[in-house]
Amino acid sequence: MIKLENIEKYYANKGLKSYILRHVSTTIQQGEFVSIMGPSGAGKSTLLNILGMLEEPTYGTYEFMGEDVTSLNERKRIELYRNHIGFVFQAYHLIDEMTVAENIEAPLLYKKIAAAERKSRVADMLDRFNIVGKKDLFPNQLSGGQQQLVGIARALAAQPSIILADEPTGNLQSAQALQIMELFKKLNEEEGITIIQVTHSEINAGYGSRILHLLDGVIKEDLQVAL
Amino acid sequence: MFKLNLKIALRNLWKNKGYTFINIAGLSIGMAGCILIFIFISYQLSYDQQFKHKDRIYRVVSYWKYADGEEFSRGVPQPLVPAMRNDFAMLDQVAAIQRSGGVIKVKDEQGNIRLKTDERAFFVEPSFFKIFDYQWLQGDPEKGLATPNTVALSQEMATKLFGDWHKAVGQVINYRNKTDLKVTGVFADLPENNSNPIKIAIAYAGYESRNAKNWAAVADASECYVLLKEGADVDALRTPMAAFIKKYYVEKGVGEENHFFQPLSEIHKDQRYGNIANKITGMSEIYGLMVIGLFLMITACINFINLATAQAVSRSKEVGVRKVMGSRRKELVVQFLTETMTLTVIALLLACAVTEAVMPRMAALFQEKLSFSLFQEPVIFLFMLGLVLFVGFLAGFYPALVMSGFSPALAIKNKISMGNSGGGNLRKILVIVQFAITIILITGTLVILQQMKYMREKPLGFNPSAISLIDLPGDSLSILKYDILKTRILTIPGVRSAALCTSGPSSEDNSFSNFSFGSSKDADFQVNVKSGDQDYIKTFGLQLIAGRGLSRSDTLNEFVVNETLLRKLNMKDPEQAIGKLIHLGGGRYSAPVVGVVKDFNNMNLREAISPILLFSSKAHAESIAVKMDARQLPAVMKEVEVMWNSYFPDYVYDSHFMDDNISKYYESEQVMGTLFKVFAGVIIFISFIGLFGLISFVATQRTKEMAIRKVLGASTFELIRMLNTSFILLVFFANLVALPIAYIFVSKWLTRYTYRIEMSIWPFVIAMLISMVITLITVSLRSYRVAKTNPIDALKYE
Repeated sequence: MIKLENIEKYYANKGLKSYILRHVSTTIQQGEFVSIMGPSGAGKSTLLNILGMLEEPTYGTYEFMGEDVTSLNERKRIELYRNHIGFVFQAYHLIDEMTVAENIEAPLLYKKIAAAERKSRVADMLDRFNIVGKKDLFPNQLSGGQQQLVGIARALAAQPSIILADEPTGNLQSAQALQIMELFKKLNEEEGITIIQVTHSEINAGYGSRILHLLDGVIKEDLQVAL
Repeated sequence: MFKLNLKIALRNLWKNKGYTFINIAGLSIGMAGCILIFIFISYQLSYDQQFKHKDRIYRVVSYWKYADGEEFSRGVPQPLVPAMRNDFAMLDQVAAIQRSGGVIKVKDEQGNIRLKTDERAFFVEPSFFKIFDYQWLQGDPEKGLATPNTVALSQEMATKLFGDWHKAVGQVINYRNKTDLKVTGVFADLPENNSNPIKIAIAYAGYESRNAKNWAAVADASECYVLLKEGADVDALRTPMAAFIKKYYVEKGVGEENHFFQPLSEIHKDQRYGNIANKITGMSEIYGLMVIGLFLMITACINFINLATAQAVSRSKEVGVRKVMGSRRKELVVQFLTETMTLTVIALLLACAVTEAVMPRMAALFQEKLSFSLFQEPVIFLFMLGLVLFVGFLAGFYPALVMSGFSPALAIKNKISMGNSGGGNLRKILVIVQFAITIILITGTLVILQQMKYMREKPLGFNPSAISLIDLPGDSLSILKYDILKTRILTIPGVRSAALCTSGPSSEDNSFSNFSFGSSKDADFQVNVKSGDQDYIKTFGLQLIAGRGLSRSDTLNEFVVNETLLRKLNMKDPEQAIGKLIHLGGGRYSAPVVGVVKDFNNMNLREAISPILLFSSKAHAESIAVKMDARQLPAVMKEVEVMWNSYFPDYVYDSHFMDDNISKYYESEQVMGTLFKVFAGVIIFISFIGLFGLISFVATQRTKEMAIRKVLGASTFELIRMLNTSFILLVFFANLVALPIAYIFVSKWLTRYTYRIEMSIWPFVIAMLISMVITLITVSLRSYRVAKTNPIDALKYE
């Protein structure tokens, strides 16, 4: 599904190149649950941003679903966002002015889905994440874990084939973090959604099927997790 | 999608109540100003536009070119009308209209006088009504006004005279105690926005004048309207007009005369010619108001743009999230524009309320019947729609572009700040523009107020206080009673003096004549002739500088002249003039100069003092000026009225105070002054609440920086100074931009006045100080709060 070939990323500062990523090549298949790990500054987030097409690599090629997306125009990229990619953020990034239900509905609006269908999908999501009672609340009325649930529900509403999560549990207490990880695992196993997460936690990484260890912009290890 | 956008917009506005308030307050006041200005201008432009042939109607006006200037008159020589009818093939209709007026009496069935009133009346040719399509309720102008001694009345006048307009036709009214006129028609009242407010139209066939054949006499009272043939071009009339002038003006006058065809739409706007209704709004005033309206909108929009781009930072996360959810930039722009439009519509509703509330005061200021009715005038509706779209796009588009352009990667990481959110420089430029506008208006206001004060306080050259001018009837029988009336009035205690005269020293009603001084050849300029008896100089407090005043005489036998006349004739010593002979009006009158008076204002205060000849002639007297003891004024006035009525029972008493006449001269300045004061105030208000909003944002954005500085040892005062410096600098730049522009505007405006203030540096300095001080206060007020906060509060979240 994803094929990275020789991805490099550096920032030039007064003629000095400071590398974030070097010679990153890897392939991620449909249905994998990949955790990207590594110390701070290893380039995890940059890699995830490149995967999410929020940043462009300096060199190298990136193929997404068999298509070269290394430098994509906005229209095409947005098409991918609408249909294939869901984002989950460490700081949830819900829209403060929207209620829970509206937050979940938002991507569907952009996807131009009919009102009735939107309603049923939102209801479905609320139901699935057990937040029906909170649908009219605003994000600041929820706990962190609840907000992240809404964040995931929003990502899932558009029925993406891949979820990119940047430290999804970084701001959560461990019990809530576990709950989110269980959820990811379930989504991965039951619905075959590809998940790529950046995490610091070995425990979280243990939920996935594969771990990429990043150090100073280079993939040091590529482990299959034994189930 | 739209519904959701709207909902989000409302929630966002509610969340940022402070900024929403600033934006709405600024926009709604600005819009209200614009709506008011629009209503006023569209009313002014609607003058005389109610007639079917409006585009083909022209007025023939007169123009003279003299060696030292030019003169304009809306009147034409009386013989011009039939001559033009005869000579111009391209004219469909030509009609004379002669202004007149006097006592109108209506008798009851027994022959007793039931009603006596002084009214304006017009002698009108039937063709006038072919040019202007009046709506006739009864009668027909073709037949009705074809014969002498017939009259048509407006519905209102007919009701006034006969109680019920249905009864008017067939009745008789008595005009000027002389002629009986038979009412043959009634026409519907004309709307207020009309330059020819005719209520009594008398058949022109009955008009008698000694100037009927005189091509040299031109009075403003004799106007001529023409209707061009369909498809004819007014420019094509130039050649025939030149031939026409050559053919008829055989006698050589002092000036070179010419006639123009003035379009109907110009009649309300051209100050040089004036009109019967005496209501004129010049294009310069209209443009001035348009500029003010534009200024209002620009300042309000600038507030909006500044606050929105400053606020953009707090929306960056939302933008980022929406983008990764698949929102296109276009959709984000639409969303932000929805917000702006929502705000604008709320502002518009408020603006309507403000307009409604201010309307009566504005109508009173302009003395016009203005109204704010959306349903009667759909054009206002269109204007408001246009205003919303204009403001919405002008104010909303740029911020929408900035915000929708955020890179999602940066936005999501909260890495967008005031610095890189864009619009930083633009905000500075906009603040400069906004304050430049404010400063221009402050300066303008100060100069206008100064000029008004100057005009009010400038010595007129005579003393107008406690003088009443009372009209006198002009028939030969009444003239005989002038002297006795004057003697009797002088016996009333509290009357200081009295004089028979044409008009006061300063008057809107001046007549000019050509003359020769000490030679047989006419001078190359005209002189203002004024009649006043032996007490005129004393009554008005004119100052003699040489010779003596006029002696008692019923006919013209000596002259008193003013300084300007001598100056124009190159005479340095006033004593030299005494005893010299003056021939007036081509030698019709000849008399010696007996005295010279100090210059006094003879026109309105905008214009230069003319050369003047003063003489005594009872035949020219039109009124009696009575100087009274100011403390006994009301009692004396009452007594004078009773006395007047006892001598002229057939006429209607009418009096004016000289003071009132003079204050009328600067009515338009007063209106301008008030307008400027109000709008400058409004724009100052809008600018400074905008500044307040902006500084609030800057302060919030820099809270962390300020906290760190404080921890490092900065004092509150130093922090306030730090925030102030950048803003004061901006306002200072705004001053640099504004002052030259203000100077150009103001000096151009002042050239309208012959007597004007010297331009000093003070209005500019004061404007600068006002703008700087208010900025200082605004910024300090807001930054003090931030500077005082405990740094821990600001830093602990990091």
